Amino acid sequence: MKTNSLSLKLLAILILLALSVAYLLPIYVMLTTSFKSIEEINRTNYLLPTLRPQWSNYLEVLRGSERFRSQMLPRLANSTFISTTVTLLALLFGGLGGYYLSRTRTAFARILFVLVGIALYLPYQVVIIPISILMSKTGLSQSYAGLILSYLILNMPLASVLLGTFFLSVPRELEEAAEVDGASRLQIFFRVVFPVSLPAYTSVAIIVFTQVWNEFFLALTLSSRTTQTVQVVMAEAKGTTLVLYNLQMAAALIAVSIPMLLFLFLGRYFVRGILAGALKG
Amino acid sequence: MDASSLPKRQKGGGNFWETLVFLFPLLFFVVLLYAALLWTVYVSFADWKIVVPDYTFSGLKWYRFLVQQPRFAVDIKNNLIWLIVGVLPTVFLAIFLAYFLEISHFPKIENYIRTLILYPVAMSFIVTGTIWSWMYEPGRGVFNTILRSLGFNASLPYATDPRTATYWLVLIFIWQYLGFAVIIIQASFRTTELQEMVEAATVDGASRLRILFQIVIPNIRSGLLVLVSLLLISSLKVFDIVFIVTYGGPGIATDVLSMNMWVTTFQQHLVSAGAGLGVIIFLMAFILVIPYTLYALNKWFE
Repeated sequence: MKTNSLSLKLLAILILLALSVAYLLPIYVMLTTSFKSIEEINRTNYLLPTLRPQWSNYLEVLRGSERFRSQMLPRLANSTFISTTVTLLALLFGGLGGYYLSRTRTAFARILFVLVGIALYLPYQVVIIPISILMSKTGLSQSYAGLILSYLILNMPLASVLLGTFFLSVPRELEEAAEVDGASRLQIFFRVVFPVSLPAYTSVAIIVFTQVWNEFFLALTLSSRTTQTVQVVMAEAKGTTLVLYNLQMAAALIAVSIPMLLFLFLGRYFVRGILAGALKG
Repeated sequence: MDASSLPKRQKGGGNFWETLVFLFPLLFFVVLLYAALLWTVYVSFADWKIVVPDYTFSGLKWYRFLVQQPRFAVDIKNNLIWLIVGVLPTVFLAIFLAYFLEISHFPKIENYIRTLILYPVAMSFIVTGTIWSWMYEPGRGVFNTILRSLGFNASLPYATDPRTATYWLVLIFIWQYLGFAVIIIQASFRTTELQEMVEAATVDGASRLRILFQIVIPNIRSGLLVLVSLLLISSLKVFDIVFIVTYGGPGIATDVLSMNMWVTTFQQHLVSAGAGLGVIIFLMAFILVIPYTLYALNKWFE
């Protein structure tokens, strides 16, 4: 098992080639196209890299223009604000709920766990109508608060289960020691469990942030022009600027930039979060 | 061990409020979520067919309406394609790749491959769909340009051919989820028992393929259950890819239940019919997720 046979080496080369093409090509196309002028795309084989990169494409996409009305900059701010707020609240409340689920062994906790487990994979289509009614009745419709509340409702089960999974592996001895000292449950949670679970919080923060950032269905239904997220404006840009592939690709690159940076620099936490989500953490 | 059930009643009255602090936010949102679900069921039995709500009970009227639409049959067919073609190839490819990474010893290649195929988890379907639309573009899109420069005279229609369009959409899904699938399979390989069994079989001289089929696959059942459930749910819920790449077209060739639900509810304002579609999607998801939820329940409370 320790050496690589010839057939394994050949297989490795094949796999390497196939996967590299499949996974680098889209990125390559996105990058090169985003730096070209539309004339250059029309004139030449656009698989070739450009010799005169048009940085102005990115400025145009961020600021918006006559031909590209889907200004990205304010939407980038919207997505950042909404995703960050939802993430922080989901971590706070989800931590509390997850701790309850991981430390309580009553029938009620079991029922709650099943309800949360089903809610984890609830198709948004089955709750979107009441949510939009609720938002318009409370005057929150098309406001940041409305979007944040909706995302919180939908991401609480995930945050609770993910954090709870990590809490299950926190050694009880730590908590028992604090209990002997007369600390209350809340004190134990915030002073003992929370500090040792910081890596877990990082993982869950990344997962929830990315999920909210990338969500489309709810954002499409509930956001207005002022609260529009990056994903919605991307979809709008694709629908309204059919031939401006260069600007679409620049917009796509801007839209993935933040989650992609998280992935590149905190990939380890990403993977831990995904595995915990699959209840393997 | 017992400490887990202790704290609740041990210290008198204060603990009730303390438990409530832990429990309340989660309970609040879960109750809201299920209230919304029941509300949708209620709306689906009402007669709400314009912008203004109308809660008059009308039984199965809108379900009957839905089923009679030709669009519904197309949706069911496409959703089945998504479930089968979106899940099976992804799982097989993932097992194959994960096993290859396990038995080979190319640490650098392994790191490279893992990052390479995992980066799409950070991307949204909207972005992926935008890029792939450009690759699929029949006129001057990436794939056809490559085919032509390789000397092929053909130009494939991809997502614009009504007969095959759905499969091209599913391909984007497989591309996006492959890395996710590989790391879940890899994690389920890494149990001590399995490693020992593989070691023993290797000493006995069993071939790698035999080890894969007779030892590895039967012993990663829980990992497979998790992965298959997650993929089934994701492919059932698919909306973004269809919306961004084809918007259900050409015609309604790539329409799926979630797309139909959105158009029916928010474009045509047939809200009761839309709610009915929501309920149908939920029931399908519910059936798919039961085995997984039971497994998770046992694992959590073991």
